[in-house]
Amino acid sequence: MQYVFEHRKASLLRAWSRLATAAVFSICACVTAPAVLAQDAAAAPSASAGTSAPAAAVPAPVAAGTAPAPTAAAPSAAGSKAAGPKPAGPKPAATKAAVSKASATAASAATASKASAGTAPLTAEMPGADAASPAGGAAAGTNAAVPANAADAAAQGDAATPPDTRGLDQEVQGLKKDVVDLNRELFVLEEELLFPANTQVAVFVSMDVGDFFALDSVTLKIDQKEVINYLYTPREVEALLKGGVHRLYLGNLKVGKHELVAFFSGKGPNDRDYKRGATLKFEKGIGAKYLELKINDRQRKQQPEFEVKDWE
Amino acid sequence: MWLCLAAITFCAPAMADTSYPLKAHEAPDFALHAIAGGNVRLSEHRGDVVILSFWGSRCTPCRAQLEALNRTLATYRSAGLQVYGINVDDDQTRAIAYAHGESVTFPLLLDPQKAVSRSYQVDNLPMTLLIDRNGVIRNVTRDHNAKSEELFLQQLRALLNE
Repeated sequence: MQYVFEHRKASLLRAWSRLATAAVFSICACVTAPAVLAQDAAAAPSASAGTSAPAAAVPAPVAAGTAPAPTAAAPSAAGSKAAGPKPAGPKPAATKAAVSKASATAASAATASKASAGTAPLTAEMPGADAASPAGGAAAGTNAAVPANAADAAAQGDAATPPDTRGLDQEVQGLKKDVVDLNRELFVLEEELLFPANTQVAVFVSMDVGDFFALDSVTLKIDQKEVINYLYTPREVEALLKGGVHRLYLGNLKVGKHELVAFFSGKGPNDRDYKRGATLKFEKGIGAKYLELKINDRQRKQQPEFEVKDWE
Repeated sequence: MWLCLAAITFCAPAMADTSYPLKAHEAPDFALHAIAGGNVRLSEHRGDVVILSFWGSRCTPCRAQLEALNRTLATYRSAGLQVYGINVDDDQTRAIAYAHGESVTFPLLLDPQKAVSRSYQVDNLPMTLLIDRNGVIRNVTRDHNAKSEELFLQQLRALLNE
């Protein structure tokens, strides 16, 4: 049992650390998303410029046929290589190398298609670059026009598209739920460990009507030993009057005969200080024992009534 | 010499503040009888900024502190501030007489068994604790004068704005 308890505790800690990490990532995503969007938006018009040129449109199927996986990224990336402005954003070093290599071999389309067919995602961006290079004049023409358009598009992109963090939010929510579940299991295990069913005794307090008694505190003695003195606030009394049941005490008792004495303090009829006691002798057997302290109004006597009930 | 004096003057409140072991810890929960009637439980005030002031009826600065807190409460009550004065006297009759004689509008609580005072490690009177909306002790003041009151108000405003 102890081992299980420790194991649960460790898994709860792990879940908390995962939750914290996910929260940090979500915050980072929120912070960096606008910058990424601005970069994408700046790249978008150049992509359209790249595809509008007839020479650029031709090699694209070749790249798509030879390397299917990166084709989704190819249009925008290729566009940014072909006609996109330099200040659109920092590029990876490998991409820059691919671009320089492509311009060096611009004379031969076959060589370029071979290069694009041969390798991985970065080289798949090359057809766009190669395609733009034969139509060098057109590419140069679009280059001049792009920076202003890119800036406008970036501004529009910022305003129109909110950062998409739904996936992260869902992940964080899922982790929170895991933590709550683990916490509940831990709580149940803790109670099972501290108050085993064989020795468990629980005492509850309930109140009905309450016209003749305003509860202030309850003192509980078991076997002539005070185990709890609980002060009730107005909110708690209100909750009891609405039908709530308060678990006053949870403890352990050995099997055998025991005596419970409860003292109720408060304001009685005519707003006078009022203190009464109730006693119950009970036998604790094997299994949990549940006792209820009930406060009722006795209409005939215009007095409150205190009763200790043994739940079978 | 002046530099040393200035350093001591400026560092003294901070040293006193950091020496409190419960600072930045969750405030121990309690339920106490109020002199005016009813009971008060601290955990019911999560979400509010709570000021706890431990005081004694024979302590003159304590009374000045309670009056200052009364003014503060009148100003910041609508911002979610709760103030409680916890009396630590052995003889509660003086505390009750004070409570009925003065026009302090916040609840004055009785701690006859000193259980709450012990749990908060009260070592000076007056001692005022500032508890944030999450139930964490953020600041402690062990003295009452114009300077400490101003500092206390700054800390309170910062907490209310959180």
